[in-house]
Amino acid sequence: MIGEATSSGGGGKDDSPAAVSAKKNKKPNYSRFTQQELPACKPILTPGWVITSFIVVGVVFIPIGLASLYASEHVVEIVERYDKDCIPPDYRNNSLHYIQTSETDKNCTMTINVPKHMKSPVFIYYELDNFYQNHRRYVKSRSDKQLRSKASEGTTETCKPEAVTSNGQPIVPCGLVAWSLFNDTYKFSVKKEVLNVSKKDIAWKSDQEHKFGSDIYPKNFQSGSLIGGGKLDPSIPLSEQVDLIVWMRTAALPNFRKLYGKIEKDLQANTTITVTIENNYNTYSFGGKKKLVLSTTSWIGGKNNFLGRAYIAIGGLCLFLAVCFVFVYLLKPRPLGDPSYLSWNRNPSGQMN
Amino acid sequence: MTTPLQRYTHYFVGFTLFNVLIQVTRLVKEGTGKTTLAIGDGANDVGMIQEADIGVGISGVEGMQAVMASDFSISQFRFLERLLVVHGHWCYKRIAQMVIIKRLSRFSLSSICYFFYKNIAFGLTLFYFEAFTAFSGQSVYNDWYMLLFNVILTSLPVISLGVFEQDVSAEVCLQFPALYQQGPKNLFFDWYRILGWMGNGLYTSLVIFILNIMIFYNQAFRAEGQTADMAAMGATMFSCIISAVNCQIALTMSHFTWIQHLFVWGSVTTWYLFLLLYGMLPPYYSEDAHKILVEALGPAPIYWCTILLVTVACNLPYLAHISFQRCFNPMDHHIIQEIKYYKKDVEDQHMWRRERSKARQETKIGFTARVDAKIRQLKGKLQRKSSTLVLPNCMPSPC
Repeated sequence: MIGEATSSGGGGKDDSPAAVSAKKNKKPNYSRFTQQELPACKPILTPGWVITSFIVVGVVFIPIGLASLYASEHVVEIVERYDKDCIPPDYRNNSLHYIQTSETDKNCTMTINVPKHMKSPVFIYYELDNFYQNHRRYVKSRSDKQLRSKASEGTTETCKPEAVTSNGQPIVPCGLVAWSLFNDTYKFSVKKEVLNVSKKDIAWKSDQEHKFGSDIYPKNFQSGSLIGGGKLDPSIPLSEQVDLIVWMRTAALPNFRKLYGKIEKDLQANTTITVTIENNYNTYSFGGKKKLVLSTTSWIGGKNNFLGRAYIAIGGLCLFLAVCFVFVYLLKPRPLGDPSYLSWNRNPSGQMN
Repeated sequence: MTTPLQRYTHYFVGFTLFNVLIQVTRLVKEGTGKTTLAIGDGANDVGMIQEADIGVGISGVEGMQAVMASDFSISQFRFLERLLVVHGHWCYKRIAQMVIIKRLSRFSLSSICYFFYKNIAFGLTLFYFEAFTAFSGQSVYNDWYMLLFNVILTSLPVISLGVFEQDVSAEVCLQFPALYQQGPKNLFFDWYRILGWMGNGLYTSLVIFILNIMIFYNQAFRAEGQTADMAAMGATMFSCIISAVNCQIALTMSHFTWIQHLFVWGSVTTWYLFLLLYGMLPPYYSEDAHKILVEALGPAPIYWCTILLVTVACNLPYLAHISFQRCFNPMDHHIIQEIKYYKKDVEDQHMWRRERSKARQETKIGFTARVDAKIRQLKGKLQRKSSTLVLPNCMPSPC
């Protein structure tokens, strides 16, 4: 009768050995995986672990923060806005006309004072403000395929509206990104001695070797009625047009800097540098700003105190939390594994019965 | 040899009064501490059936009152053995599974919370970036990153959480069914949890976005002087999300088998492997991500510093919260974990047994049926009192 009861409710004739062994085989093989009995590590968050982890984080982060801050403080950075001052006084009210016509003289001279000793190489950047290189329509408007090789010269579909000339000839390089190429130039001199600006290695190696072809040359570039930026020398292949390559790496934010060149000489403190700027680029129609930046670098790059401060803040917060927890555990300790903290022991009145 | 009947139940045969039946059942239940089963077929058995842990009613000559008040009903007394041995066994397993399902549902809740959290953390960073692109709809991340986010990079740890997580072992789970009790307290707690996780996601997204923007702002990010473009910033921001989100799930887990370790740290490693291999592909396929890890980000110390900072900053509030909660407002499964960890259940077996029996009292099989039966019983009492004084029936129980 027990045999019947334990079978799956069928007739009482299932006691044959074959049936019993068949029943045995139906049982799934035991494995630690299926029975959820894998060896496991079950860490418990004890007060010791909590305080230790906060202290470790604090002790690791504060030195990193201090090192970053130290590096950033030692970077010498000079930022000079020039788009306002580089317009001749006659055209101050009509800057748009000034910048768009080719009749005006775009040369402008400025002096910069070096506050501290700057070790070579000194990097030269141009900084643009309120320029949305990250706008979706702008980012789309390029043809990477065309940039890579001459064979794809005609691949310009994604480049609208700067895809083809009025004759239907492909523009190389096509698209709004290339069309809006920045074309201000800077020349530096100290006491009449010209400082050489090196254009070597300012673009990423992978860009120069893989993304911009060495057999493709600019063609029909800036040939339309509306000129958006600089012109390109048609005798230099795209892989060597470093300004174009740097420009075509679209920036993430509307305020960005791009590498213009390097000065491979040390600059002494209190030197006065004379900068001759060609103020060609039109940022006046959209209220943009142009700045010239000279900067040295450190292991974290340019001048940015934020990283160091953030590290110190988080490290300090962790140490503060560790101290708080120590305090609190001393004041109100809870013995671990104490069953009087179980919910049915803590508030019996609240339980159902 | 004892029959299953003798082994599993204490039974009381009597021709007794209604009240006495109830009181004796109560005495047996509390005195022995064992699970009691009461069986009867008459109206006078109703109270006893309801009082016992398991009430079995026999439908028969007396009518259906005993049946309506019971948890199980049978038509003849001889079916009791089958009820106990077969169905009782299955019922126990299924209740256990229900407790496990309740536990699983607790873990599905925590998986759902985690899904909310990671997708809010990820999606909001995209949204914040829009404010910087004049709301043109430009994504800061490469399409492939976004595709892989939910498919591979963050889904496997959640699966391991849902399937393998054990805050307490299976046997403890069955011994302490009160760990998973229903109630208005738990309902409120669930909403609090969901909103807490969504808040955590919001906080994480803000930390990731703001820290990345401020660190990579516009200056050079390497000693060689290059500035970060959208591809570099996007890859860094995404790396931060992957690290932060996977560390977060590691903090919520309390049970680490090799599977959990593989899935959690494996997800982070998969991301870097992907970035590496995707970057190796020619620019036709990899576009902006071409060689980005090898050439631009990998050698830049600021990249790694940013990831470390963001991961810790994102997980700090949660770590503080669980530490605080465990110390001052521990949940039952925390205490049980500690008891097992420090082997106090082995040292002090009397305490362990006592807590187990208390936990079992909180949950009774057929509870809602009992409540209904109680209400009916009280109504019946009122009706009888209002009519006449009736002599209680004396009925021999069949054997």
